[in-house]
Amino acid sequence: MGKKRKHSETEAAANVNKEEIAPERPKRTLFGFKTKSEDKKENDSAPGFRNKEKVLVTCSRRISFRYRHLMLNLVDLLPHCKKDSKVESKESKGTALNELVELRSCNSCLFFECRKGKDLYLWMAKCPSGPSVKFLVNAVHTMEELKLTGNHLKGSRPLLTFSSNFDKSPHWKLLKELISQIFGTPKDHRKSKPYHDHVFVFSIADDHIWFRNYQISSGHTGTSQKLDRGDMEKMTLIEVGPRFCLNPIKIFGGSFGGPTLYENPFYVSPNTIRSLEKRQKAGKYAKKVKAKTRKKMHELENPLEVDEFADMWKE
Amino acid sequence: MMEMEDDNPVVSESESEEDEDVKLSEASKSAVNNKAGLLDKLGDISWPESVDWIHKLSFDIDEENEINVNDDLNRELAFYTQALEGARQAFTVFQAKDMPFLRPSDYYAEMVKSDAHMGKVKGRLLAEKRKMEEAEERRKARDNKKLAKEIQVQKQRERAKQKKDDIESVKNWRKQRKQSGFAGNDQDGDLSLAFEDGKSFERSNKKRPGVTPGDRSGGKGKKGFDNRRKGREKKDSKYGFGGKKGMKKQNTAETTNDFRGYSKNKKQKV
Repeated sequence: MGKKRKHSETEAAANVNKEEIAPERPKRTLFGFKTKSEDKKENDSAPGFRNKEKVLVTCSRRISFRYRHLMLNLVDLLPHCKKDSKVESKESKGTALNELVELRSCNSCLFFECRKGKDLYLWMAKCPSGPSVKFLVNAVHTMEELKLTGNHLKGSRPLLTFSSNFDKSPHWKLLKELISQIFGTPKDHRKSKPYHDHVFVFSIADDHIWFRNYQISSGHTGTSQKLDRGDMEKMTLIEVGPRFCLNPIKIFGGSFGGPTLYENPFYVSPNTIRSLEKRQKAGKYAKKVKAKTRKKMHELENPLEVDEFADMWKE
Repeated sequence: MMEMEDDNPVVSESESEEDEDVKLSEASKSAVNNKAGLLDKLGDISWPESVDWIHKLSFDIDEENEINVNDDLNRELAFYTQALEGARQAFTVFQAKDMPFLRPSDYYAEMVKSDAHMGKVKGRLLAEKRKMEEAEERRKARDNKKLAKEIQVQKQRERAKQKKDDIESVKNWRKQRKQSGFAGNDQDGDLSLAFEDGKSFERSNKKRPGVTPGDRSGGKGKKGFDNRRKGREKKDSKYGFGGKKGMKKQNTAETTNDFRGYSKNKKQKV
């Protein structure tokens, strides 16, 4: 009895000790032990906050190679993503995708939907409670292009830069939050690397969101983590790729569905653009026939004067 | 899941936007823009305010002026400056926080692009450089050629002038001799009378390329032996000399599968 009690007492004491010690124990990192002050700072900012973002990246069937490469590039850029096999793009894809996201225990999704083998739509969704956005993707350049000469660590956390016009209207604000959550790599993610050598650009121009990815090359050598002013001035960027341009079409309240919160008032679908083009080209034959009859009518209405010298040389 | 209510769908007024060729010129009136709903959703998904910057790593960069999307160079420059500004700000923050952010030179890890790919990129850069150098060289050669032509013309003119002068001076000399009544006739071959320019006649000792010293035709005469040799070579290349003779008429895999000469309608020789 006494023995038991003693045991429990020691255990309680240990517990107390642990509680006292636990926050003070320095965390182990690649460089050894983290400094105490840093830990304190973190605790100050948001106690218990941990970014557990996981992004499911997938695409529809019959996606063209260029768009597939773009998707794979993004998979390379986001160490916190899971890639899944292709999903049939039909009306019920929303529920299927929601299920898939839940199965893979993700909380957001990037879905590349390719229609007619030429139009790429990108769905960005927070699952399971939304919101979700549908973009039309333009001006795609993949990382494989040889003009983009930069390179950076796979899995290093990107710096995100947003142009200031993201704060102009509510839908841009929402998109900014969504993008920064999906494209930002969580701190201390197990696949991420502890240095920062690339920067993402999200900029709104002409109502489109333009994406660029640059490698940061500072002319810095040596082991010290200090950059003086000259190094800052000398710092240059090299583009790594990919490039694309997102044209928001609709924002939904739920994930892959739900009430429409925003609709781009200027959006014209590529189908309409193509059909307009076709209509402009069409009717070639009808135009010709019309022109012919018009000419005939004109000739009948305005007959030529009789040429008095017509048979001068006949005799 | 879809708890959003759609009670106040604000119809969007045409926000002052410049029209693009692919865009509708005027905002469609029926487009939904539920601002309250959007902000509500934003509140739902956004992280708590107190989250440290280190979790986000994001910057808002002011841009000086509106980007013209059709001006590729300036557009890319705007993106570049935005990225550079962001990187500088981030690095100053990292430095202030005393955090590691620069990759040490001995830290090797997997990169986004493979070494094979980077090799290709490098190859392309080198090829581009070489191409430029070659073009430069060609241009220089062209210029040189032009210059050489000019110099040649000048030389020819000079030579003609020299010849004319020489003839003139000989004439003068003759005249002078005549005037003096062939005074020094008896003195054997006295050429002591000076030419006009004071120099007595002398042979130019310039050697001309391709002209043998004894050649009086100036290298233009037929070079008998060489010429004959060249003709033989030409004939050999034309009619064949040496090598196997028989194989020319034999079929090969290519020729057997080649039906170009065959036509169904044409009468074939039996």
